[in-house]
Amino acid sequence: MISRKKWLFALLFYVFCTFIVVLWMIPFLVAIFTAFKTIDEIFMLRNFWAPPRTWTFENFKVAWKEGKMGRYFINTLWVTSISVSGTLFLSSLAAFALSWYDFKMKKPILMMFVAGMLIPFQMLLIPVYKFSVMTGLYDTLTGVILFHIAFQLGFCTFFLRNFMITIPSSLFDAARIDGAGAFTIYAKIIMPLMKPAMAALAILEFTWIWNDYLWSLILLQSDVKKTVTIGLTAFQGQWISSWNIIAAGSLLVASVPVVVFLVFQRYFIRGLTFGGIKG
Amino acid sequence: MAQVVLENVTKIYDNKVVAVKNANLVVEDKEFVVLLGPSGCGKTTTLRMIAGLEEVTEGKIYIDGKVVNDVEPKDRDIAMVFQNYALYPHMTVYENMAFGLKLRKFPKDEIDRRVREAARILGIEDLLDRKPRQLSGGQRQRVAVGRAIVRNPKVFLFDEPLSNLDAKLRVQMRSELKKLHHRLQATIIYVTHDQVEAMTMADKIVIMKDGEIQQIGTPYEVYNNPANVFVAGFIGSPAMNFVNARIVRGEGGLWVQTSGFKVKVPKEFEDKLANYIDKEVIFGIRPHDIYDKLFAIAPTPENTVFGIVDVVEPLGSETILHVKVGDETIVAVVNPKTQAKEDQKIDLVFDMTRMHVFDKETEKAII
Repeated sequence: MISRKKWLFALLFYVFCTFIVVLWMIPFLVAIFTAFKTIDEIFMLRNFWAPPRTWTFENFKVAWKEGKMGRYFINTLWVTSISVSGTLFLSSLAAFALSWYDFKMKKPILMMFVAGMLIPFQMLLIPVYKFSVMTGLYDTLTGVILFHIAFQLGFCTFFLRNFMITIPSSLFDAARIDGAGAFTIYAKIIMPLMKPAMAALAILEFTWIWNDYLWSLILLQSDVKKTVTIGLTAFQGQWISSWNIIAAGSLLVASVPVVVFLVFQRYFIRGLTFGGIKG
Repeated sequence: MAQVVLENVTKIYDNKVVAVKNANLVVEDKEFVVLLGPSGCGKTTTLRMIAGLEEVTEGKIYIDGKVVNDVEPKDRDIAMVFQNYALYPHMTVYENMAFGLKLRKFPKDEIDRRVREAARILGIEDLLDRKPRQLSGGQRQRVAVGRAIVRNPKVFLFDEPLSNLDAKLRVQMRSELKKLHHRLQATIIYVTHDQVEAMTMADKIVIMKDGEIQQIGTPYEVYNNPANVFVAGFIGSPAMNFVNARIVRGEGGLWVQTSGFKVKVPKEFEDKLANYIDKEVIFGIRPHDIYDKLFAIAPTPENTVFGIVDVVEPLGSETILHVKVGDETIVAVVNPKTQAKEDQKIDLVFDMTRMHVFDKETEKAII
């Protein structure tokens, strides 16, 4: 009778999981439906949840053209790629120093990186705004990039350092004896071994920065500099919002991190599950 | 190739732990020196100081006559083989071996020549395109040695290179390393906790304990003339028997008197024991210097001890007996044809010409 009990358990498990998945997918599904509806269908027929009665691709065109999405995409791509590579480069260097070298204040510095992760961003909105105005970084993409790098550095350094300390120290010693300087060891020995971790982190960071709304909202003003997430809000009116166009725009925006994730998911899973290297 | 000299070398870590205390050592050109001791005795720290991976707190290290205390590891002209091999996992065997030469800007064809030559010596020519994870333990070990020999350094440093291998492979690699030493005519400093490795490979053994060098000598010397109780007990298997004893004057000369037996000191040792008459000492004798009376060459009442057999361990080539003599248990390695049975009486004959006596206070050897 054990098999029957097991079978029942499996059934319950799948029912529960299906329920969770459905619950999780509902907003996404509704967004997809909405993106293909006309505004009339939403407001006149009050059709919020069901699939569209007439499918239309018009919303995507409007979102792209009227919403100046082309410009925003370029801005976002620029901000995201520079921020991600900058963050990864700086945090991997910091993690390298923190895991392989002994120096004064090593522990406090590491703690600072960790502590930095714990500060809620909302608390920093006003100081960051004032600081950016003072330094002339306000309303520049450079400003957005610098703040992204600064805020992501804590987590990335912590994450990479935890990977690096799993690499046997004899590799480091062997490289020193072989004649490698600090940067050669970083570039030729440690970085190749960190590939899975770096790839995983790159995907995470890409998604976070691409989807960022808060910093762009705080730091950018002129239309030509806006990122996609800010651009979407243009369709949100005071009395009426074009939900179908917002949904279409959102799908366009979200498609990029989804594609990035699908392409690199192999590394992503390896990076999160492997503890460095084995023998 | 070169001479390595340690002059009053001390290493104290930040947490005040003294890892190496006032070490003095001369490793001659082309010599194979083994640093031997239990874990935590400071042997690896000593090796890492020679490599330049650890800073020296006090004292000086010379390589080839030059003080190298402040010289970077890469400029010391040394090569090191690590316990876990430390091969670069993302590089092929060839790249692993070539890495050091590339960094030193050797011309490509010279690198290729040296890597192939080393691979030929070590018999790993067909493995050059593989990654370390595709190799067995023994093969990785060879690559690690290969990475050292392509550099043709002044000094080779080995840090427990065989301890991750299985027993059979260890024996094989042991003789290969020895052959390699003859072939390369290199100065080698080798760290191990395995006394068999030390005895079989070394020209000179340095025995360490708690950061201090206990004795420096050839395998023959450290086995036959151990400087103190620690060395006597550490070298040799089974370990030397130690019994608390008193030197007494008796019939025909000096005797060793213990709680369970009394044996006569050979004439040639009497002078050395003159100051210890009626004093407490530690008497030592190796299991291999004790015979079953039935197979002994010269048994006399003066060197024969009576006991009860506790445990018999036949090994085929020899038999190990644990014998209760008074309150002490004496271990003897005897002829395998011995008739000894557990709980039965036995007469053991000590080869007193090979006895050892240690000062009770200092534990230093008197004989």
